Amino acid sequence: MVIAGGFGVGKTTAVGTISEIKPLRTEAVMTSMSTGVDHTDLTPGKTTTTVALDFGCITIDQDVKLYLFGTPGQDRFGFMWRDIVHGALGALVIVDTRRMDDCYPAVDYFEKAGLPFVVAINLFDGQLAHNVDDVRWALAVGEGVPVVTFDARDKLSVRDALLAVLRNTRSRAQSRPANAP
Amino acid sequence: MIHDEPHGEQDPDVTLLRPYLLTSGRAQPVDQTLEIEAQVATSRRGATSQSSLTFEHRDIVELCHTTMSVAEIAAMLHLHIGVARVLVADLAALGHVVVHRPAAALDQDVDMIERVIRGLEAIR
Repeated sequence: MVIAGGFGVGKTTAVGTISEIKPLRTEAVMTSMSTGVDHTDLTPGKTTTTVALDFGCITIDQDVKLYLFGTPGQDRFGFMWRDIVHGALGALVIVDTRRMDDCYPAVDYFEKAGLPFVVAINLFDGQLAHNVDDVRWALAVGEGVPVVTFDARDKLSVRDALLAVLRNTRSRAQSRPANAP
Repeated sequence: MIHDEPHGEQDPDVTLLRPYLLTSGRAQPVDQTLEIEAQVATSRRGATSQSSLTFEHRDIVELCHTTMSVAEIAAMLHLHIGVARVLVADLAALGHVVVHRPAAALDQDVDMIERVIRGLEAIR
């Protein structure tokens, strides 16, 4: 499963909250030059950004493991997305309502790639700055795309967001004609 | 590894080597469909020829006595994920590792999706 979204939106936190292995990552400290580009000024306390990949793992049963891949949110890492999206069950696009446009590249990419996705608004400090309908309107996602709220720091909340992704993928699979390729 | 500012302050974790140097510049694996979640295990042949392998190939064969994903190999050996895919595909083609691929078209496999849903629901 893919966990996507803009810089500093809580992807790493969400993966770490539910993964049973310590999330593995390649992260580099932002250089001063790129700090302005990535809007750290709007995300107090965030000093590093993911330049490669975060991932975690959940054992489903004896034979099945669910891998969670946190993808770099920025357009300039789009070249990595193809590898991550290939074979994925679905995607969770995490949104920070203070910087909604950060998730546009991910939404665009998944729509084009035909990967079922769910939009999850990360409730920083439990506050919902916009209502869910406003977010749906701002992102211009269709009625078929579920929009949920969650807290990336809360294990059960992350679990429920992942379940929303799987149920969305299931309904897409069930609505597909049986003889379709 | 992306490095925008070659003359700036050095991050100890950032290398200035071009990542695909390790693969003689090849950015595509011999098997271009190799998934980053595919499970990799050292084969008997890999284990016996370990001492004749070099550098990253050897590191991977050593590491994969415990089965793990391509992504985990990349993280453990501090390799770019694309480089790890190329190296694992090479080792698999030579028979030094065995790769277990995930099932195809999982997003259309309702039984598998429901299995994963049940697994997640069991998390408390």
